[in-house]
Amino acid sequence: MLSYRSVDARGPVFFEDLAVGQEFTSPGRTVTEADIVIFAGLSGDYNVLHTDAEHMKSSIFGERIAHGLLGLSIEQGLASRGEPTAAHGQLHALKWKFKGPIKIGDTVHVRSRIAGKKDGPDARLGLVTVERELVNQLGEVVQEGETEHAVERRPG
Amino acid sequence: MREAPAAPVQCYFEEVEVNVLLVTPGITLTRAHVALFAGVTGEPASDPDLVPSLLPLSLSSGLGWRVPRPPLAVLAFMGFEWRFLLPVRVGDTIHSESRTLTKRSLREGGVVIEERKIVNQREETVQSGKLTLLVARRPAA
Repeated sequence: MLSYRSVDARGPVFFEDLAVGQEFTSPGRTVTEADIVIFAGLSGDYNVLHTDAEHMKSSIFGERIAHGLLGLSIEQGLASRGEPTAAHGQLHALKWKFKGPIKIGDTVHVRSRIAGKKDGPDARLGLVTVERELVNQLGEVVQEGETEHAVERRPG
Repeated sequence: MREAPAAPVQCYFEEVEVNVLLVTPGITLTRAHVALFAGVTGEPASDPDLVPSLLPLSLSSGLGWRVPRPPLAVLAFMGFEWRFLLPVRVGDTIHSESRTLTKRSLREGGVVIEERKIVNQREETVQSGKLTLLVARRPAA
């Protein structure tokens, strides 16, 4: 299990410190061709959607687009810079929708809101549900969903 | 004269078989995977031997290309539901097992719902869920 003390310079944030309704906005990040190339190499997903610029000229997107899971991975990285670390604890479950393409040069950021809290799988943990939107530079929501995180309860 | 490359060999909507189990080869997770993934996400690794939750799922999409069936002609990944059941650590070897649960025809293609699980070297299911994919029809000859 992730220990928040080791990764959050702002000090430990526990289950009890998080409140339903809290909202967060992350910094932005421009998605580059290099991001897509590295993700294709790492994942082994070389679908033409992400790797063949000529093929994609005649597609509905007109150009290569980022892997959906690259967008989600970037979303989780951005969230770690925009939320108290505990709100981004060990992932327990998620539901996710890919609503629109992320193209090379798009700049995305995350809007999130704590939507629920409940007891966790054991007494030391609580489960926090976070609603998330990944938004591009035009204000379009390109991905959205809910993540559930296991968060430590305050000891003692 | 400029020549168009061969159309990729793909599995189109018509050829998707329901309820056929596809098992991928395995891949051993290394610190290099963790470091590269941390570079892509921008999320610092808190423990260099703990595999980030989304990395096995990302690897499973590439492993899915290495089964006896050609890659699915995916037009769009529409969404998914996923559960993270057990931690994955550097040195673990994972593979993916999937089957199509349902397929539904649409005008521009078809929607395929795939059940997928990621299994480690001890035959423990570490992650599992359902993915919804929009798959192209076979182009008219």
